[in-house]
Amino acid sequence: MRKFDLVVVGAGPGGSSAALAAAEAGMDVLLLERSRFPGEKNASGFALSTKAWRDFPFIADLDLPSMRYNRFCVAHILSPPPEMEERFSISSGPSRRMGYPEARDFFTVGMLRREFDQWLADKARTAGATLMLESLVTGLRRESGRVAGVVLEGGEEFAAPVVVGADGVLSATARLSGLREKWRPDQVISACAVDFEAPRERMDDVIHEAGFQAYFGPGIGGNYLVAYADGVHLGGPGVTNSLVSRLNRSHVKPARELLDTIAAPPTRRLLRALEARPREWQAHLLPWMDRMPTNIYTGGLMLVGDAAGLPEPLYAEGVWQAMYSGRLAAQVAMECLEEGDLSAASLARYLERLEESPVGKEFVGGAELRRLFEILGDPRLSRELTEMAVDLTVNLFMSAQEPKAECVARALPVLAENLPALMEVARIYLPMILQVEGERLRGHLAVLKGLAAALGGGAVGSGDAEA
Amino acid sequence: MVSEKPRSGKDARGGGGSDIDRFALTEVVPSPRDFIFVDAERCTGCGNCVAICPMDLWRMRGGRAELAEGYRENCMECGSCYIACEAGAVDFTYPPGGTGVSYRYA
Ligand SMILES: Cc1cc2nc3c(=O)[nH]c(=O)nc-3n(C[C@H](O)[C@H](O)[C@H](O)COP(=O)(O)OP(=O)(O)OC[C@H]3O[C@@H](n4cnc5c(N)ncnc54)[C@H](O)[C@@H]3O)c2cc1C
Ligand code: SF4
Ligand code: SF4
Repeated sequence: MRKFDLVVVGAGPGGSSAALAAAEAGMDVLLLERSRFPGEKNASGFALSTKAWRDFPFIADLDLPSMRYNRFCVAHILSPPPEMEERFSISSGPSRRMGYPEARDFFTVGMLRREFDQWLADKARTAGATLMLESLVTGLRRESGRVAGVVLEGGEEFAAPVVVGADGVLSATARLSGLREKWRPDQVISACAVDFEAPRERMDDVIHEAGFQAYFGPGIGGNYLVAYADGVHLGGPGVTNSLVSRLNRSHVKPARELLDTIAAPPTRRLLRALEARPREWQAHLLPWMDRMPTNIYTGGLMLVGDAAGLPEPLYAEGVWQAMYSGRLAAQVAMECLEEGDLSAASLARYLERLEESPVGKEFVGGAELRRLFEILGDPRLSRELTEMAVDLTVNLFMSAQEPKAECVARALPVLAENLPALMEVARIYLPMILQVEGERLRGHLAVLKGLAAALGGGAVGSGDAEA
Repeated sequence: MVSEKPRSGKDARGGGGSDIDRFALTEVVPSPRDFIFVDAERCTGCGNCVAICPMDLWRMRGGRAELAEGYRENCMECGSCYIACEAGAVDFTYPPGGTGVSYRYA
């Protein structure tokens, strides 16, 4: 039986990042992957966000044939089915006020997982990790009650004092270790995607850098388009519905909803303009938790990425989270190995550090944000808000149909009518913002109070406005 | 005069989602063994598996769910049926290493 310092199960972004960090630090690492090449099993409409550039210096070297920069996000609000015609859209380049340079330059880069996962696994291999493909882990070795290696289907065993479970949403290591039997239906999204190939010139002319587009609307759950160098993915359902709530509501098949969005007139026009041809049909589960899971380690084992349920609570972005948690798990494994203590108590620092990290921070207010999504997904509210937005933007700046005052006058009653819902949105949002950014914002509140006093509008909040 | 052009929907050129042939657009190296197991005794007939499967591999018959016999040729290993079954009637593992669904453009 071969022995390693660390066995990593799964060569997705989480596993390869763990193996890379451990191998670079001189550990003897085994990386096990069930597929024939890394990325073969990972359906994902993949866009890597700027956080990867911020946190992983080696990402600056990323140069894959399928890459397309996304510098312009578009949200299409469609009219309800069956019409599904373009009603309103919001689009923008990145904010110039973001906190680091890449975030001011682009949102994400679209690329194929087949290329990205192989690139990352190759990096781990070059750094000295041993990569074994076509190797399905079906058992865990145990020594004195702790996980101490893995067993492959067929019986081959590998020993290691610590194992990283990077085996994705249907994690066998989570199940075998007793950390989690399986997700509840409301903790995952069942997503489908269609890959279309399109000539590069068409992509450059029609899509250019509008590389992420989402489709919302009454009764439309947020399907999305991600653009690559020579094609697009249309995926869905979006994150506004979890698997079981969708089923309970209507038994509408997620696959059906995606196909309907693809058949919707605006999408069809776009696909025709792109001369796009369907190339592949994909389906995959995705964990979607509103709070960061805490049962993600036990003696001799740490779960990372999807296996740990780390995709971010609003959009379910998960690759950067997998990379971050993978690297962190490798660092903790190294420390605990040096200390000679791989007990659950010793590995508990993995969870502590993850909770304090940017990955954990994204879960602050997760449940509240989810509630916000539900409120905005309400068909009536979504219709009213759309009409209000049209009155206050397009009608004021781009249409000569009616006197401007009419548009404003019409928008105001809508605003008043929806005040309860908008208050609900504010009630959810504000405490969350204060929790994260309290100090910084209290300064701004003081400014607002001063402004209100100067305008003679009386006190905002408490009576300290006379200051 | 109001335009006679149809606003939407009735586009004559077809296309879109309707011509997406899911079966033709997936590549599977069939597993040599079973990897989804149905316990008919536990099935409550709720229909979740039928509703969720992206490949329509489940049917209701006599109030119980049935998995298509040839599922190993088409299953995408998404595990949706396994998670959606709240009665614990579906068990799921992955097919052997090197077999099963193969995505080239994911
Ligand atoms: C449709 C869709 C779109 C998405 N879009 C985005 C996006 O745009 N941006 C983003 O950041 N995230 C996106 N995500 C989420 C992202 O795909 C995941 O969060 C990410 O892949 C998690 O990485 P991971 O390494 O934890 O797991 P995975 O990528 O799932 O990797 C797990 C690996 O382990 C292997 N494996 C599993 N079990 C075993 C076993 N028993 N033995 C050996 N090997 C095993 C698998 O073959 C796989 O290679 C999307 C997800 C879906 C489903
Ligand atoms: S794993 Fe997915 S594709 Fe396979 S039968 Fe279950 S739901 Fe259908
Ligand atoms: S989800 Fe489970 S209980 Fe419901 S019909 Fe399918 S197998 Fe039966």
